[in-house]
Amino acid sequence: MEIKKIAPPVLILALFLTSWHVGALVYDMAFLLPTPYAVAQVFVSDFNIIMIGLKQTFQAAFTGYIIATLLGITVATIMSLNKILERSLYPYAILLQTVPVVAVAPLIVLWFGFEIKSIIIISIIIALFPIINNTLLGLKSTSKTLVELFDYHKSNKFTSFLKLRFPAAIPNIIAGMKISAGLSVIGAIVGEFIIGSGSEAGGLGVQIIYAQANLETALVMALILTATCLGFAFFITISTLGWYLLHQWHESEQ
Amino acid sequence: MIAISKVSKHFDEVQALAEVNLDIATGEFISIVGPSGCGKSTLLRIIADLVSTNGSVTKPNKGAFVFQDSALLPWRTVQKNVELLMELEGGTSNKKVKAKKALEQVGLTGFEKNYPHQLSGGMKMRLSLARSLLLDPEYILLDEPLSAVDELTREVLQEELYGMWARDKFTAILVTHNIAEAVYLSNRVVIMSPRPGKITHIVDVPFKKRTPNIRTKPQFSKLVNEISGKLRTWK
Repeated sequence: MEIKKIAPPVLILALFLTSWHVGALVYDMAFLLPTPYAVAQVFVSDFNIIMIGLKQTFQAAFTGYIIATLLGITVATIMSLNKILERSLYPYAILLQTVPVVAVAPLIVLWFGFEIKSIIIISIIIALFPIINNTLLGLKSTSKTLVELFDYHKSNKFTSFLKLRFPAAIPNIIAGMKISAGLSVIGAIVGEFIIGSGSEAGGLGVQIIYAQANLETALVMALILTATCLGFAFFITISTLGWYLLHQWHESEQ
Repeated sequence: MIAISKVSKHFDEVQALAEVNLDIATGEFISIVGPSGCGKSTLLRIIADLVSTNGSVTKPNKGAFVFQDSALLPWRTVQKNVELLMELEGGTSNKKVKAKKALEQVGLTGFEKNYPHQLSGGMKMRLSLARSLLLDPEYILLDEPLSAVDELTREVLQEELYGMWARDKFTAILVTHNIAEAVYLSNRVVIMSPRPGKITHIVDVPFKKRTPNIRTKPQFSKLVNEISGKLRTWK
């Protein structure tokens, strides 16, 4: 990559870290606003806690993300089969998006217990809609000419789906998965907040609650940063997969 | 032969096609010309069984439909695109060998690994024609196949299309806006008028053999003008 591309964001970061550092020194209340250096130190001193949290949250968010993707594609495929199915199911897919997940989370924990299962379910709920919506859009916008070509050759529904409608929808599926990448991590953290101090070995959300109670602000920040990076890693992974699948033929990756 | 009998079509309240009757001999090249909205494209889709009708159409079993925009799958390479119709029709053995030969015939050897967006409009149409010819079709329906390419390529492709027809002896029905193209390629030119779509004239094209320089002959322009005049009479 060229220097010209990297320089501006790096400059912004340096500016941000400097003002933060100076601000924290002037303000001089480390338990409220630690310096960036203090946060960096926590990554070393509390490495084990952060890793335990990261491992837990990764497991929940990753499982939730994969299930949300598979479920989302399946539901969208069912909806795309005919107008009546779409009309019957789509309003509920929207409700899934508009329901305040934070408010529903306690109910989920009541039903499924104080364990990773509940966290995964909350992660699925929050990550599902973008996948359904984008996949459905993709499956419904197949080129009319190509549909006619397949119809002319009396291709059955299954073959048309496999060779035409699904591949044509891949750019949209990737777009949905990019949105859901960060959301699945947010869902997992929300779930962990509700489960709270259930155990020492909780995920990042649990560790944040712990650290906050102990006024370990630098650790809170380090955990937030870790959660952010986790979501970012999901995003980068799916972006790379998207590039690999699309760069040779789709405008979005050229 | 292809027999079109009492074919009509309504879209809701609008009558798109009044009763159309047309017999096309085996191995004949027919062009259908007419202004937008005269139902020529609808008629072609009725023949293809893509649009329903009250009338009847009899046609041979093996056919191909060539679309205006080439209708290639953008995520498939040239090689995979040329194999597509064989896959859809099923049961074709030695696809690779046939595909290779077909690409060779349209001058696309060496482009096997390219994607459609890397090809010019003319190359895309050659690919589209090549994959259709692979089916050994008894008839080919062409829906304004050359309208998306530039004028020079268009004439070259007309000559290539004529060559394919002369060699493989399929029955061809071409829908086009371009009268010179219709005259150059066809045995007969069918003229249609809109609201509702119907056949107003059928003009015989007397030329025996088509060579590029036929376009400059006086009889050629005379015929083009005659058809043009017939197209204008009801405007």
